[in-house]
Amino acid sequence: MRTFLREALGRLAGGAALALAAVVAGGSAPAAAAEVDGQERHVVRDPHFGDSLFYFYQQRYFTSLTNLMASQQFGRVAHHVDEAEVLRGGLYLSYGLHREAAEIFTRLIEQGAPPAVRDRAWYYLAKIRYQRGLLAQAEEALGRIKGPLPPDLQEDRGLLQANLLMARGDYAAAAEVLQPLVAAGKDALYARYNLGVAWIKSGNVPRGSEMLDEIGVLPATSEEFRSLGDKANVALGFAALQNKDPERARVYLERVRLSGMMANKALLGFGWAADALGRPKDALVPWTELTGRDASDAAVLEAKLAVPYALGELEAYSQALDEYRGAIQTFDHESASLDESIAAIRAGKLLEDLLASNPGEEMGWFWNIDRLPQMPHAGHLVEVLALHQFQEEFKNYRDLQFLAKNLRDWAGNLGIIEDMLANRRQAFAERLPQVQVMARNTGIGKLEKQRDELAAELARAQEQSDGVVFADAKERALRVRLERVRATLERDGADPQLTGASERYRRVAGAMSWQLAQQFPVRLWDAKKDFRQLALELERARARDADLARAQREEPAHFDQFAARIAALQLRIQALIPRVTALLELQREAVQEMAVAELEAQKERLTVYTIQARFAVAQIYDRAGLAKESGHAPGP
Amino acid sequence: MINRRWRMFAAGVAVGWAAMTAAVAADEPTSAAGKPEVSDLDGRIQDVKSEVIQLNRDLLVLEEELLFPANTQVAVFVSMDVGKLFVLDSVQVKLDDKEVANYLYTPAEVQALHRGGVQRLYLGNLRAGSHELVAFFTGKGPYDRDYRRGATVKFDKATDPKYIELQITDSTGKIQPEFAVKVWQ
Repeated sequence: MRTFLREALGRLAGGAALALAAVVAGGSAPAAAAEVDGQERHVVRDPHFGDSLFYFYQQRYFTSLTNLMASQQFGRVAHHVDEAEVLRGGLYLSYGLHREAAEIFTRLIEQGAPPAVRDRAWYYLAKIRYQRGLLAQAEEALGRIKGPLPPDLQEDRGLLQANLLMARGDYAAAAEVLQPLVAAGKDALYARYNLGVAWIKSGNVPRGSEMLDEIGVLPATSEEFRSLGDKANVALGFAALQNKDPERARVYLERVRLSGMMANKALLGFGWAADALGRPKDALVPWTELTGRDASDAAVLEAKLAVPYALGELEAYSQALDEYRGAIQTFDHESASLDESIAAIRAGKLLEDLLASNPGEEMGWFWNIDRLPQMPHAGHLVEVLALHQFQEEFKNYRDLQFLAKNLRDWAGNLGIIEDMLANRRQAFAERLPQVQVMARNTGIGKLEKQRDELAAELARAQEQSDGVVFADAKERALRVRLERVRATLERDGADPQLTGASERYRRVAGAMSWQLAQQFPVRLWDAKKDFRQLALELERARARDADLARAQREEPAHFDQFAARIAALQLRIQALIPRVTALLELQREAVQEMAVAELEAQKERLTVYTIQARFAVAQIYDRAGLAKESGHAPGP
Repeated sequence: MINRRWRMFAAGVAVGWAAMTAAVAADEPTSAAGKPEVSDLDGRIQDVKSEVIQLNRDLLVLEEELLFPANTQVAVFVSMDVGKLFVLDSVQVKLDDKEVANYLYTPAEVQALHRGGVQRLYLGNLRAGSHELVAFFTGKGPYDRDYRRGATVKFDKATDPKYIELQITDSTGKIQPEFAVKVWQ
């Protein structure tokens, strides 16, 4: 059963996936994209844009969208401005937010985005307008596209244009639009399918049938296309029956897979084709097979009547009578089961179970129901669950659940952030006096004075080439000793014992001066370098001091601003929570009633079938009565 | 009886054709003639969705401004260019010898990186000055061998936010993966 539902849903999800993937795949210039394992790869020039893509590619669209919007707010996607907008518009569209998406695309066009971006924006605007039933405006938007769209969108564009033309009954023009798409690629199955339909509806039945026939026999590469082939064959089969060509109908219907979602319809039609050929016995084969299948399918219920009808045709009245009685019992039983299902749905069991058995991390376009709920007679719900409208309404319900949780989480987190701010404010108030004391004692002014003195000394030394200024400790000690020697020589210079000493002093003092002069350029360079570093550090210290002073002045105001923002956001959250809760309840009822309406329709169908079966039973009894009166009992 | 059955059959034909046309456009408008644009309930739901999305943006902005102010903010990103020679399992990041991130990747995340997504692995705060970042990449290298490599970068943090990207690339010449660190200016 799960497979059955999947078949029905696969195409919906597939179509949506292609469309949204194209938002990004087509988003870059050709040079900026590369192929990775058959998928387009984006070249990212702003890491924060890449961050949104990281979540986008994981189908976590809510995170992708909100991160993207935050990054746009911070101005962090400067190299991807237009792309970011196209992505944002596409994501809005995926959540059914047509108005916002349309605003984004319109703005892109008005602001003179590059032609490729403008063309894509026109395409999405056309799509939005089409989905909203604004057909003329959608055609107008499509007409504004000047160049070719990215390959993924190009076929969609053609299909959209053909759908618009078919919607206003211009099937011939639709066929003209579709023909090049069909010619362009053998895989353009949906285009071929639509072309077949367009031809048939424009009166060219043979050509349309031929096209659908081709699809019907095409070796399909995927389940989606196999399912499309089945649909083509069923449609052709029933069309042939309607045109009183049962032989042809059998050919088409025989091609339908017995396990696919169209199998029951095909079996029913196959039986009718045999009957139309005057072979009710042959009709019994598919119909009997059908009666053994799940009774929640309309074709199966119809077969419950078709089998006794065929038996009647074969004049097996007694068996026909039994079959009709069996059918009435089945219908009664099904009707009771439907009542149980309706009661379970109204008790909330359906949505509860659908949510539990179809989990998903975020709101999302790709998300689809692919498991039936664990409830009695879940088979009744296959058709309704496969309805596009039901899927959309249920998605809205699930999205609301997600939003409710998102708001609850933020309400809690914002409380924590508020506490954090309060702690920070308190810590600031506690530390401020100590910091102020420290700031007063840093002595930056004194240090700056020393720096200036050093600068002057350095300038003087450079001007006078004074190597002595740069003498190291050892040299300075040596110079002190030399000074002492010089003083001694001056005082006791006449002493004969010091005759040689004067000469030695002269040589050593000369060597010292020479050494200092030699070292002067290197030492001057080193000193200047050290001085620059010192000046820099002092500047930083001064800047930190200024920051500190500014923080002391401004930080309380910052705290107040943050507190005000938190309070405003908390208010928005608290205002949204009851709105979401109320909408959740309304949407729950709407979704449930949609399912109930479908089941009520099934019940009405059962009532009609029951009346028909009872009427047939009465007819058989009538015939039996007439036969008895005329002396002939009904046949075996 | 036969007439009645054929009437039912005709209904079946209608279903067949409806099924056929329904297959062509899943997102077709329910009524081409112009259905009401959106139901009241649907309109209200879309309004609320839009408001919550805007609210989330404002909350994210507030959170970042408060917890990771621009003057101390540092963000570490992971990106992968091709990445055929390396199957990423995990990344560990140390900032100034302190582990700040240790992340294990799911196949979906690795695929997202392959397609050009860039993961913000870490968002934190650093003082102005010189810092060192060390990253260790663990996974499977060529010939399905266990692979662990490191990359290091020293950088200066000033008063602007600092973005550091850990890049995994394929060196086709060496037939080895390469791990580089890019500091965004």
